Amino acid sequence: MRLLANYDWGLIWENKEDLLRGLLVAIQVAAVALVLSVAIGLVLALLRLGKPPVSWLAAIYVNVFRGVPALVSVIWVYFGWSLVVGISFTVFQAGVIALTLLYSAFISEIYRAALQAIPKGQREAGLALGMHPARIFVQVTLPQATKIAIPNIGSMFIGMIKDTSTFTVIGLLELVRVTQNLNSTTFQPFVLYTAAAGLYVAAAFFFDFLFRAFEKTLTTPPSGGIARAAAGRRRRRIELVMKDVEALSGKT
Amino acid sequence: MRTPASTSSSRQEGSTEVSRASLADAERASRLVVELKGIKKSFGSVEVLHGVDLKVHSGEHVVIFGPSGSGKSTLLRTINLLEEPSAGSVRVLGVEYGPGLPGERAEKRGGPLQLRRHVGMVFQQFNLFPHLTALHNISLALRSVRSLGRREAEEKAGIALRQVGLLPWAGHFPGELSGGQQQRVAIARALSLDPEVMLFDEPTSALDPELVGEVLAVMRALAESGMTMVIVTHELNFAREIGDFNVFMDEGLVVESGPRGFLDICENARTKRFLKAVL
Repeated sequence: MRLLANYDWGLIWENKEDLLRGLLVAIQVAAVALVLSVAIGLVLALLRLGKPPVSWLAAIYVNVFRGVPALVSVIWVYFGWSLVVGISFTVFQAGVIALTLLYSAFISEIYRAALQAIPKGQREAGLALGMHPARIFVQVTLPQATKIAIPNIGSMFIGMIKDTSTFTVIGLLELVRVTQNLNSTTFQPFVLYTAAAGLYVAAAFFFDFLFRAFEKTLTTPPSGGIARAAAGRRRRRIELVMKDVEALSGKT
Repeated sequence: MRTPASTSSSRQEGSTEVSRASLADAERASRLVVELKGIKKSFGSVEVLHGVDLKVHSGEHVVIFGPSGSGKSTLLRTINLLEEPSAGSVRVLGVEYGPGLPGERAEKRGGPLQLRRHVGMVFQQFNLFPHLTALHNISLALRSVRSLGRREAEEKAGIALRQVGLLPWAGHFPGELSGGQQQRVAIARALSLDPEVMLFDEPTSALDPELVGEVLAVMRALAESGMTMVIVTHELNFAREIGDFNVFMDEGLVVESGPRGFLDICENARTKRFLKAVL
């Protein structure tokens, strides 16, 4: 205990703003990359479920980028692209692109499994009603698959936030970079990195809560506060329709 | 062998209004709604239908029965092209949708979307959309297929639910309904699109025995309203009661078929053996 007391724990509080700002940058990069990854991942999943040779190309993409470490990915994007293509990105853009390359591959696999889990009777019911296949996908298959995919996408997001820590290599001012900078003047790595870890874990708890709440809104019947509010609106709408129809039947 | 108009003429009671109505019935009944000719279907190298013909007239209730694997469900599913026949002609309301018969001149073909606008289908497993309420299961179909606005679609959906006695359950999700109720919602969903013919693929096979009755009651009411129906079923008592035309299938072929009362007068040994085992 005395050993722990020898460390300067007050440093954390003194630098709380810098540390939080670092965490915020990490979350921002991860959040933008998540939106892109879900969109691209979904397209990749559909391509992979489609016909060869396109499905093979999708499979190759997925296997390549699931295997590449975030550190290598961001070096390619930030240094490689400016050398090879002559386009240079800001550190923020490079971080987003690097994460998207990786996580679109993971999320495509999550969506592929989720889409395959939907019974084929669902699509058939839509077809038998005369619905257009694209409409069936958007309104029948995708919402159900998303409900299955959400918990895994939540885990991915937490992984994405952590992976931003490697972007310190391109100088992105995320949490680990901030910690390094503080460490270079205070020489308290144990304290500072423990603080960083604590913030990552806190973020993990927070986003787990958020994704769980979202997942609840997708269960049927929906549960949880947010969902109940939305469900209340829908219930009132349906009750109105029921009243209208009953009134109609009274007349005829 | 077939007397499509027999049911309506037998109901004549002398009053001019009734006879005029039954004349109209008879005229309508002569119209072919579905005509299958030489339907063959293979899954991979296995042929499960070896050339089946079937005619369904307007207002007629056709019952298809037979052992599992006889191809009766597959045949039903070729009517709305959920199964694409390998060969043969699928004609619905006079329009050709199948690959056609060898040697016949190619005709103008309709697409599956156009076909399915006229054909409703009810599945063994209900296949309601679990993420939508009973009402929205129906209104989604109306909005997508009939391009109705939200309000109008929901109202029509409510009317369809009332028809099957489930209006009070409009806001419930399929998971909150019993199997019988789910199947009734599924029937309402198909009916809401005003189909010319309704296909039923073993609609009561997945239900608890206790819940079969309520679904059959809805189907009976539908039959009495004059809806054209093709029913694949194991409920032979129901088949006996409702079937204007009965088809017994085995091993991918129609073994025997006949009009009302067929179950009691059928002659084929295979049919008799099946009926003896089931009834």
